[in-house]
Amino acid sequence: MVFLQIASVHKAYATPEGALVRALDDVTINVKNNEFLTLLGPSGCGKTTLLKCLAGFEDMDGGDIILEGKSLRSVPAHHRPLNTVFQNYALFPHMTVAQNIGYGLDVAGVKKPERDRRVGEALEMVGLEGFGGRRPAQLSGGQQQRVALARSLILKPRILLLDEPLSALDRKMRESMQIELKNLQHTVGITFIFVTHDQEEALAMSDRIAVFNHGRLQQIGNSTEIYDTPANDFVANFVGTSNLFAGKVIARNNGLLIVETANGRKLVGTGDRFAIGDSVKLVLRPEHLRITGPDEPASDHAISGTITDAVFVGSVVRVHVDVGFGRTAILHQKYDRRGLGSALNPGTAVTIVYSPEAAHIIPEGA
Amino acid sequence: MLKGLKEGKLWSILFNGYGLLFLTFLYMPLGLIVLYSFNSNPINMAVWTGFTLDWYATIFGGASVEGTFDAAFTESPERIFEVVKNSFLVAIFAASISTIIGTATAVALARYKFAGKRFYQALLILPMLVPDIVLGIALLIFFVGAGFELSLLTIIIGHVTFLSSYVFIVVSTRMAGMDTTLEQASADLGAGPLTTFWRVTLPQIMPGVIGGFLLGFIISLDDVVITYFIAGVGSQTLPLFILAMMRRGLRPQITALAVLILIFSFVVATIGLLLRNRKP
Repeated sequence: MVFLQIASVHKAYATPEGALVRALDDVTINVKNNEFLTLLGPSGCGKTTLLKCLAGFEDMDGGDIILEGKSLRSVPAHHRPLNTVFQNYALFPHMTVAQNIGYGLDVAGVKKPERDRRVGEALEMVGLEGFGGRRPAQLSGGQQQRVALARSLILKPRILLLDEPLSALDRKMRESMQIELKNLQHTVGITFIFVTHDQEEALAMSDRIAVFNHGRLQQIGNSTEIYDTPANDFVANFVGTSNLFAGKVIARNNGLLIVETANGRKLVGTGDRFAIGDSVKLVLRPEHLRITGPDEPASDHAISGTITDAVFVGSVVRVHVDVGFGRTAILHQKYDRRGLGSALNPGTAVTIVYSPEAAHIIPEGA
Repeated sequence: MLKGLKEGKLWSILFNGYGLLFLTFLYMPLGLIVLYSFNSNPINMAVWTGFTLDWYATIFGGASVEGTFDAAFTESPERIFEVVKNSFLVAIFAASISTIIGTATAVALARYKFAGKRFYQALLILPMLVPDIVLGIALLIFFVGAGFELSLLTIIIGHVTFLSSYVFIVVSTRMAGMDTTLEQASADLGAGPLTTFWRVTLPQIMPGVIGGFLLGFIISLDDVVITYFIAGVGSQTLPLFILAMMRRGLRPQITALAVLILIFSFVVATIGLLLRNRKP
């Protein structure tokens, strides 16, 4: 049995101007038990709406959400075995940390001695021993975050929903919390459904990522699948940086396709579900492109061009190369502590090469 | 440059002067009534003849006015106590009932969607805008038509009709400023709507609820026009009583009574403001 079935869920809103916005358009996902699933997408893509439908704060227009064989459609939020960590944490300001964490047990009728013991354990789990008597306003953002986590996890939910919980933290804190959250998920053995617009965060934490745009599920898969074999333009551009070259398939050879671009350039790439004559796009990641001299022999995995910019960003140098027909390719050159040198001066004629397996082919306009 | 500075200074003096004049305009009448209440001159309170606490004493029964000029104009402490008691009874019951109705309505309108919500909202504010005299007559017609005998009860019912609007507005403001995710969090943690209201919503809007209660209390306490129409013979309130006293002329005892009401209102208003400024 599928643990959690999100079955063709629909949800539309009317804007104040009267236009209809499809927040969720036929979304279907099967979530596994103990999985760390991330819903990734830009703001307004529907990921938060889906989370609210799961938590029970929003009604669906169509479709169903089935947890362990039972439909949650008509189950109100306070009877669902799911708990939420809110973006702003939503800690009760008039209660102490311990009262906040014990709230769920309290309303469930758990007696005080038992409650106190479990609140103590929860505080320990998130490393906040001794903070029970404080008010949420006296805590830092990171500590409030832990209280919110403890408050939800103490109820041992079947699924923990997390709505961009790291977005209010600074970068360093966020990175350490990413690891902590991931470890916590392993320890407690609860399914996490995590919403974020930060693709790095998604890649770093998730077992699987579901990418959303305009209310539609674009692709679902593990981090490397999403990164290496994006399903379409949107995923290719939203997750990491991509160079896209449009063209038509003109030949097939052992899983390798030859794509002819608009200006007659022939490039090779990997893809198996295309026929000759299909309009496609070649996806090339910046780190898979390598600069060689202008005298590199012409081939189906080499592109000639002119450097327009070279930006030092720390670990790599980001190089922009004008490859003609109005396209700029972005590539990452390793930085070796010898300065940028004259090889990367704007105006230098170069050839970019890549290995044919690194070029992933997606359908045009998908 | 120098000229500009001078000009700026002149404006600043003018503005400060204006501010001072305005405050004087606002507070001079109140200052005068306080002053008069301590004037021992029983005939003409505008002529100062010496300091006295006699007028206050007559209210509390600490001084006798037997045989003096004011004897005919002074009310007994028992009578004053009775009307003050009436006023407080009305104010406490009217404000409490209005607070319950106004708060419940504000919460419902802020959290639930239903057909005709905006129309309903407008209807709620209307009683505040209807002229008092119209509301007074309307209530009187209603009570007489419905067979009510005019009493403290009719005053309470009458006050609730418009005080609920005041409480509704004060609590609505508070509801609008409240983070709705707190209620979602409460539901998420397993609390039903009622538990969420008592344990999360109400504590959050409490300053507004108390503020609404105090506002209703003060308005009820000094309402004259509406109360005038719906008060029975045996159910005089303090403002109506003072109005009746005034028919025999403005006597020093009235000024003392007025100052006491002023002090009381000031204390209540201060509590209200303090609560309003308190962070949730």
